Amino acid sequence: MAKLTIDGVELEVPDGTRLFDACQEARGEALPHFCYHPDLSIAGVCRLCQVEIEGMPKLTIACNTTVRDGMVVHTRNERVTQANKQVLELHLINHPVDCPICDQAGECGLQDQYMAFGLYDTQVAVPEKVNKDKTKVIGPYVILDKERCVLCSRCVRFCNEVTKTGEMGIFNRGDRAEVDVAPGTELDNNYSLNTVDICPVGALTCRDFRFRKRVWMLKSTQSLCPGCATGCNVRIDHEGGRIYRLKPRHNSEVNGPWMCDRGRMTYKQVHNEKRVGQPLTGDPGQLDSTSWQEALDAAAVLLGQGRVGLLVTSARRSLEEMFLLQRLAQKIGGGKKVVAGRYPGDDGEGDDLLLKADHTPNARGLTMLGIDEITPAALAAAIDRAEGTILIHGGDPAASAEVAGALAGKEMIYIGTHNNATTELASLVLPGSMWAEDEGIFVNFPGRLQGFRRAVVPVDQARPDWRILSELSQRVGAEEVPGSLAAWRKNLSGEVFAGQDVDLNQLPAAGLIPGAQQDSGPQGEH
Amino acid sequence: MSRNEYRMLSARFGRNDGHKLSVYESEGGYQALRQVLGGMEPAAVREEVKEAGLRGRGGAGFPTGIKWGFVPEGAETVYFFVNADESEPGTFKDRYLLDFDPHQTIEGTIISCFAVQAHTAFIYIRGEFGWLVDRVNKAVDEAYAAGYLGKNILGSGFDLEMIVHKGAGAYICGEETGLINSVEGRKGQPNIKPPFPAVAGFLGLPTIVNNVESVASVPYIITQGAKAYREFGTEKSPGTKLWSVSGPVKNPGVFEIPLGMPFREFFHDYLGGMADGEELKAVIVGGSSVPVLPADEIMSCNLDYESLSQAGTMLGSGGMIIIPQSSDMVELIQVLMHFYFDESCGQCTPCREGTGWLHRIVKKLRKGEGKTGDLEMLDYICEGMAGLTICPLADAAVMPMQSFLRKFRPEFESLIQETAPAVPSSRWPRGE
Repeated sequence: MAKLTIDGVELEVPDGTRLFDACQEARGEALPHFCYHPDLSIAGVCRLCQVEIEGMPKLTIACNTTVRDGMVVHTRNERVTQANKQVLELHLINHPVDCPICDQAGECGLQDQYMAFGLYDTQVAVPEKVNKDKTKVIGPYVILDKERCVLCSRCVRFCNEVTKTGEMGIFNRGDRAEVDVAPGTELDNNYSLNTVDICPVGALTCRDFRFRKRVWMLKSTQSLCPGCATGCNVRIDHEGGRIYRLKPRHNSEVNGPWMCDRGRMTYKQVHNEKRVGQPLTGDPGQLDSTSWQEALDAAAVLLGQGRVGLLVTSARRSLEEMFLLQRLAQKIGGGKKVVAGRYPGDDGEGDDLLLKADHTPNARGLTMLGIDEITPAALAAAIDRAEGTILIHGGDPAASAEVAGALAGKEMIYIGTHNNATTELASLVLPGSMWAEDEGIFVNFPGRLQGFRRAVVPVDQARPDWRILSELSQRVGAEEVPGSLAAWRKNLSGEVFAGQDVDLNQLPAAGLIPGAQQDSGPQGEH
Repeated sequence: MSRNEYRMLSARFGRNDGHKLSVYESEGGYQALRQVLGGMEPAAVREEVKEAGLRGRGGAGFPTGIKWGFVPEGAETVYFFVNADESEPGTFKDRYLLDFDPHQTIEGTIISCFAVQAHTAFIYIRGEFGWLVDRVNKAVDEAYAAGYLGKNILGSGFDLEMIVHKGAGAYICGEETGLINSVEGRKGQPNIKPPFPAVAGFLGLPTIVNNVESVASVPYIITQGAKAYREFGTEKSPGTKLWSVSGPVKNPGVFEIPLGMPFREFFHDYLGGMADGEELKAVIVGGSSVPVLPADEIMSCNLDYESLSQAGTMLGSGGMIIIPQSSDMVELIQVLMHFYFDESCGQCTPCREGTGWLHRIVKKLRKGEGKTGDLEMLDYICEGMAGLTICPLADAAVMPMQSFLRKFRPEFESLIQETAPAVPSSRWPRGE
C-alpha cells in the first residue's frame, strides 16, 4: 500500500495504482481529461490531467504516473488551475464552437470543462481558425467532423487495441493534424459506434441519432441489449415515450464499457410500423381488432378444459414470462410441457469480442427452467401431433416454411409484438410488449441473471406479456394468481433457485450467476 | 589570428579522401576497436566513457556513459541507434562527421554497441541528407568487407549488423522516441515517457540512441583514455565540441574547440570576427531552440554547458547562429515560429495549437496588423506551452520566442501602432 496526500486529503491506495485514479478517489471526481480512458492505452496527449507533485519541478500528467509512498500532490492549486485553463484554451482556439448545431452539446467534454474552469473570453478571431472537413461519412454508422476534434486519439486507440481493425489514424501534423479513416477503408467494424461514445467532443457522432434530439431532454433507463446471448448492459435514452438510442453501461463482468453496433440498433424494433397495437381476432389472414376483454375471454375458451394442444415460447422472452407460461401449462395442459422454438434469425454472425452467434438474449433462461429448445422441423412435427389449440408466445415460428405448413388449419393463439408470418396464421393475436416496454430478467450465455427495467409504455393497447399470461391463468383456473411481477419473481426464486440465496427482486447491479462466487457490486459509468 | 588546432573529431574534415577506409586505417583508425575486442569487458568500456564525462552532443547534454547504464542488467536483445537526424536549424556538425569521416562514427558505433551488448545498430540519417546515405552505406560496406562488422568481428565472437536508415524528413524524428517510431514504420512522433527507450524502445526492447558526435568521440576516449580526454574542456564539460557556425562572420563553418573556451576568443580567433560591414547584434548559440543572447551578453560567456546555462541559454547542439545588426529580429522569429509550427507533430495540445497561434500572431505583426496586447499575448501563450508536453518541441519554440521578445522588445513594439504602419519588406521568400 502507498500512503499519499492529495489536496490535503491523506489516503492509502494499493501499490501500482494510477495517480489519476487516486486523485479521483481523493477528489470525489475525475481530473479534467480527454485522452485518458481506463480501457485503452495511455496516450498522454491532451495534457489536461496535470497535477503538481511536490519535489518535481514540472507539472506531471496523472494518467501516466504511478503512485509512490509519501507523494504530496496538488490538483487544485493556482499553478495547476492556471495550466488547466490555458491548456483548455489551446484546445478551443481552433474549435468551431458550433454547439448550437452539435449533437454532442450537453454531453461534451469541452463544454463541461469550459464551464468548470474555463470561462474566459475568446482571444482568437473566427477568421483565424484552421478550417477542416466538417461532414465526412466514415462508416455506416459514424460521421466525422474534423474541426470539432481535439485529437485525443481515443478512437484510433479503440480501433487498434479493442477491435484490432486499425481503420483510424491521425494524419498530417501540427494544427493541421486530423483524425480520419485510412485511405480506401471505412469504419465498418461491428463496434464502430463505441468510437462515438468515447469521443469526448462532437467530432464523431452517430448517423442514426444525429439531429434527432437534444441530449439534455433524454431520460435514461437501465436495461439490457436483447440482441444476443451476451446481454450487454445498456441504458435506453428516451423521451416522450420514444426511444432515441441505446448506450452501453459499464459492467466489467459482461461487456466492460462497450457494445456492438447491431445491438444498438435493436431499439428500432420497438417503434416500427409492424407493431401489433390491438388484440385481433377472426379467420386467419382476415383478422379484425377486438377488445382485450373479448380477446382474453375467447383465449380462455380456446385454452381451457384441456383444449390446449401445445405451448411454445422463445428465447427472446424474459425469464418471468417463460415461468408464467410453464405455470399456465401446468394448470391447463394436463401435464403438457412448454417447448421453445429456435427460429430463423435466432442465429447469425458472431465475433470474438461481444457479439455471440446466438442472437437471442435468454436461451440460457430456457435451460434454467428446463424448457427444451427445438428445431423448426421438430416444432413442425410437434404441431402436427398436437390436438387442440396451439399457444405461441413470442418469436416468429411461421418464418420457417415447415412450421408455417404445420400451422395451417390449426387453431392458434399468438402472443406477439409484430405483424409477421405467424400473425397471418393466427386466429387470435394478443399484442405483447417489447423488452423496452416491460421489466424482466435475461440470463446471458454464462448464466448471469440480469434485470432490465421499463423505459417506455407499450405501444397502443399492447400489454406486458406477464400480464397477459396472468390474465389467462386467472381465467382458466379458479384460484388467485399473483397480481404483480414482483410476486411472480418471488415464486420463481423459491421454485427454481431454492436454497441458492437468489432474490430475483433484488439482483445486484452487475447481475448474478446462481451458485458462483459473486464478485462485483454496482459499477460506475465511464 | 592565432589559434590552436584541436583534431580529436575533425582530423579529416575538409579532405577529399578521409572517408576511405584505407585512409582512416592508415591514420590509426579501428585501433580502438581492436583494443576493445582484444580483451576489454563491456563494463570496462562503459566505465571508461563514464569516467571521461562525455556528454550527449545531440543537445540535452546527458552523460553518455550513464545513459548506457540504464539498459536493464541481463537484457537479451539491445538495439543501438545513431541519431544522424541532424535537423536543428543552425546545426550541421554531424553532416561533416559523416561526410568527411564516416568510419570514425562507424568505429565509435561498434564500440558503443559492444559496451551495451547490442548486436543490431541503425544509423538514422535525415531524409534531406540524401547523398550522405550513399556515403555512409559505402563506408558500412567497406567495414563489413574488412571484418569490422558482421559475425565474429576480428575473431572476438562479437557480432554486429549495421543498417543505414533514411528518414523521411521530420524535425521531430530527431527526438529519440520519434526516431524509433519512424524506424518501426509508425508516424514519427515521440512516445510518452516513462518507459524510456533504454528500457523499452525499438520493438519494445532496450534501445540506446546516441548522437553522431557522441559516438564519434568514443574511439579517442578508448585509445587515449578518459584522463587524456579530460585534459580538454572543463571539469563538468570535458572534451572538445564541434560548433557549426553560420551567419556573416569571416569564417563560417564547423570548428572543433575544447569546451569552456571564451566566446570572445572563439569569435575572434576562429571565426575571424564579423564580415566587413557587419556588426554583431546577437547570437543563438546552440541551435535555433535555445534562447538568443545579445552581443554584450554572449561576449562575456564561455562555451560550455554550465556557463551558457548560467547566462540563460543552452549549449544545445552547438549550432551557432550569428545575427548581424542588419537583421530584423521580428523577421527572424517569424522564420523560427514558422519552422516549429510546421514541424510540431501535433499530438500534444499545447504544442499543436500553441505553435500555430504564435506563428499567426508573429505573421500578423510582420504584416503590420499588430495590435496592443499582442506581445503580452505571445508571452501568455508561451507560458501555456512550456514544460507541458511529451517532448521538448514546445519548449524549443517557446525559448526563442520569449527570449527574442525580452531582449529585443523595441523591435516588436515598433510594429504595433495605432495607425497601420507600412508593410515591412520581407527577405523571407517562403511565406505560409
